[in-house]
Amino acid sequence: MNTASSRITYLPPAAAAGHPRWRLAASRLAARALLLATGLLLPLLLLGLWQYAVQRRWLAEQILPPPSLVWDSLVELWQNGDLVANLSISLKRLGWSLLIGGGAGLALGLAMGVSASVKAYVYPSFQLLSQFPVIGWVPLLIIFAGIGEALKVSAIAIAVVVPVTVNTYQGIRNIPRALLEVAAVYRFTFGQTVRRLVLPAASASIFNGLRQGVMQGWLSLVFVELLASSEGIGYLMVWGRQLLQLDIVVVGMLVIGAVGILLDRLLAWCASRLQGWQRNAY
Amino acid sequence: MSILRKLPKLPVTDLRGVVLPLAFLALWYGLTALQLVNTKLIVPPGAVVAAAWQVIGSGQLLAGLQASLARDLAGFVAGSGAGILFGLLLGVSPWARRLAGPTFHTLKQISLFAWLPLLSTWLGTGDAAKILFIALSAFYPVALNTFEGVRGVTQAQLEVAHVLGFSRRQRAWRLVLPAAAPQIAIGLHLALLYAWLATIGAEYLLGSSGHGIGSVVIRGKAAFNVELIIVGMLLIGVVGMALNRAASLVEARLLHWRGPGR
Amino acid sequence: MTFPRFRRFAALLSLLAAGTLALALPAIALAQDKPRVIRISYSGAGTGGRPLTGGTIISTAHQQGALEKEFAKDGIKIQWTFNPGAGPATNEQLANGLADFAHHGDLPIIIGRSTGLRTRILFSYTRFGSSYITGPIDSPAKSLEDLKGKRLAVFKGTASQLALGRILKKHGLTERDFKTVSMDGDTLRAAIATKDVDGGFIAPFDLQARGVGKVIYETGPDPELTSQGVFWVSEEFERKYPDIVQRVVTTLIRVAAWSSDEKNRDAQYKLWANSGTSYYEYQKTYADVPLKWRLSPLLDEYFVDNLKKSIQQAREFKLIRRDVDLNGWLAPQYLNTALKELKLEGYWPEFNAAGKPKLAQK
Repeated sequence: MNTASSRITYLPPAAAAGHPRWRLAASRLAARALLLATGLLLPLLLLGLWQYAVQRRWLAEQILPPPSLVWDSLVELWQNGDLVANLSISLKRLGWSLLIGGGAGLALGLAMGVSASVKAYVYPSFQLLSQFPVIGWVPLLIIFAGIGEALKVSAIAIAVVVPVTVNTYQGIRNIPRALLEVAAVYRFTFGQTVRRLVLPAASASIFNGLRQGVMQGWLSLVFVELLASSEGIGYLMVWGRQLLQLDIVVVGMLVIGAVGILLDRLLAWCASRLQGWQRNAY
Repeated sequence: MSILRKLPKLPVTDLRGVVLPLAFLALWYGLTALQLVNTKLIVPPGAVVAAAWQVIGSGQLLAGLQASLARDLAGFVAGSGAGILFGLLLGVSPWARRLAGPTFHTLKQISLFAWLPLLSTWLGTGDAAKILFIALSAFYPVALNTFEGVRGVTQAQLEVAHVLGFSRRQRAWRLVLPAAAPQIAIGLHLALLYAWLATIGAEYLLGSSGHGIGSVVIRGKAAFNVELIIVGMLLIGVVGMALNRAASLVEARLLHWRGPGR
Repeated sequence: MTFPRFRRFAALLSLLAAGTLALALPAIALAQDKPRVIRISYSGAGTGGRPLTGGTIISTAHQQGALEKEFAKDGIKIQWTFNPGAGPATNEQLANGLADFAHHGDLPIIIGRSTGLRTRILFSYTRFGSSYITGPIDSPAKSLEDLKGKRLAVFKGTASQLALGRILKKHGLTERDFKTVSMDGDTLRAAIATKDVDGGFIAPFDLQARGVGKVIYETGPDPELTSQGVFWVSEEFERKYPDIVQRVVTTLIRVAAWSSDEKNRDAQYKLWANSGTSYYEYQKTYADVPLKWRLSPLLDEYFVDNLKKSIQQAREFKLIRRDVDLNGWLAPQYLNTALKELKLEGYWPEFNAAGKPKLAQK
């Protein structure tokens, strides 16, 4: 999401008037700094409100930890390795699920998009199942797969499969007929059609699907870890809550948010690199 | 297959879609009838149907469903309302964008369920925490899509409104909102799905002592009653689908004045 | 809004206000000397979260309706809240000011006090029970050491975690030597049945009877290793209504006497079995030690010493961050008055710090 108000680069009239370059650079930098400052205003205000609420005991101190304690806990957890250990476990889970779910979703979407008969057999069932909230599957999965890694990876993989499949399928379906006809004229083999036409043409949609898949996967990961886990960032939050150390819960939330931001930025960067050749308006 | 192609085209939906589900049901029935699997875990379809009949008859499931839907609706309305207002504000006012925008987008990255432990500690495991959580889940998609919709209002449209001498209120009511309406509708659709997800998720996480379909399923899990879990799950899925369909229909109706779109 | 409509609206509003005031006034008057409701939190719930429990004298009192009968004449209602989230959930209720009395395990209440929750301990119960590590039926493990590195489940934040800590410490182990998972009773039983965990801190009898579990380790009635429950009142409630506190304690001690009577063992098990845990399980769990020992409510030397040890161990196992001060925490005067009133002095044996009875039993 483009949060800056504008990224339009323009030639300021000052340049035409012949002002020194550093002046322009400085003014642009100042503008950026001002933007940053205004953006930080609200968070700082909220932080102040939080501290005020703690001092005025709007909520019992046991359940509203002061910001300083949260910071201390963050540092402590970072230093004693707990945070990194749990976070890496969660990320590993996400990685595996993306691989499995994403791969399955791509394969399924490709199959349905390319072959009309596969679509006829599979699509109605898929449509039905995809409308099930992923969360709904979890109790059943727990009964069948227990609460080990198998459960978590399968639950998250299911969450990833759905958007990936849907977007892949849509992307392939939206390929203009004209392109397919050109491929036929050139007598592309099936493999060539897929490699040189279908995948590039649908890549925007496929990538969109992967992006949504990552986000849905992360959402499900947090849920599954909160529900039944012995390690991971969600488990850290459960631990904190059981011991009435709500600051650990807040630390968990912050870390989850940070990972969310990182994933989002990473995907955006990937999108810009992969899609550079597209002459999109946005 | 070629024989089938020679048959006259039937004016019904492609029957091939039914093959997979039927095959699945047949497999399920076969495995349990032949006792090839642990029937305590993989219960026979007949048992599920029987359990469904009994449980629905006892009214327990339907009462739970009612409670869940009530909460879902309350949270959805609250969250969407707030979302539209906030999205409007962000879209229309550049100052709001600069002040609240970054915070809004950053807080959005905190995965939904991460909010739940804190909310339930502050508000208890009763309805208050759940409704607030559901409202939160609905707030973000609506706010984001409203924001995008409002941003989509072109300069030219604004100039026309200016020329026609629209007041502030008229501008909002007769220009901005209708222009953003399709995007808002998408946001509401998403919010409806997310809200149902949040409702069920909250019930799973906040325990078995509440009222709601999710609590019924969790109780079933605790009592190892697989039939109950399956029936509950199916119901949850059906409601999810129904909500999805209803949202699509409403979207189509409300936006029909835009003419045939995509 | 047009004027006639406004008048109607204003009239309705004032009627509403008057009505509310009329209803509130007697409540305000009543709140001066007596509470309208006594809120009791129970750190636990029956199977599947049902509001019927067993295993403590508080459960017995709840099922017998002892407190309801006592306060019926004052028009005070008793509101019971059963928390499947056990001790930690009760702590949260206390923090939100939603509990007046509670049954609580030692670890959660120590955690609560360390974070500043203000309570007064009235009496105790549940000591000398045996603790078990139960595993799936086909588990090859014969002792705790065999489970090293495997998945061990315990309900974190509850007294069970502290008891487990003690057991592990006795064998030179810590929680970190295992993959510890947090699970409540129901989930834990299911997990053992499906072999999801390699061991769990829970009584084995039900699982044994179903043929899905077996004992990997048991402590026997070792006074060094058991945990104890406490019944507390919030400082605020005690300050406002000390006489109500006394009456609650007296009623509950009367129930405790009934519970501790060997004649009532069978009837008690039947009551407890309503919680969903079987009669058989209670029978086996409470078979080894005389009821008078197990269910003693006394705040005797053993209790105090054990509490001190619990606090120290909680700090050692890093379960609390701040030290806990025992000063002003215990309020034995209510218990002593109740014992005198009910002529039950000496009914329960006092134990010294090592867990041996000090005086001869009556």
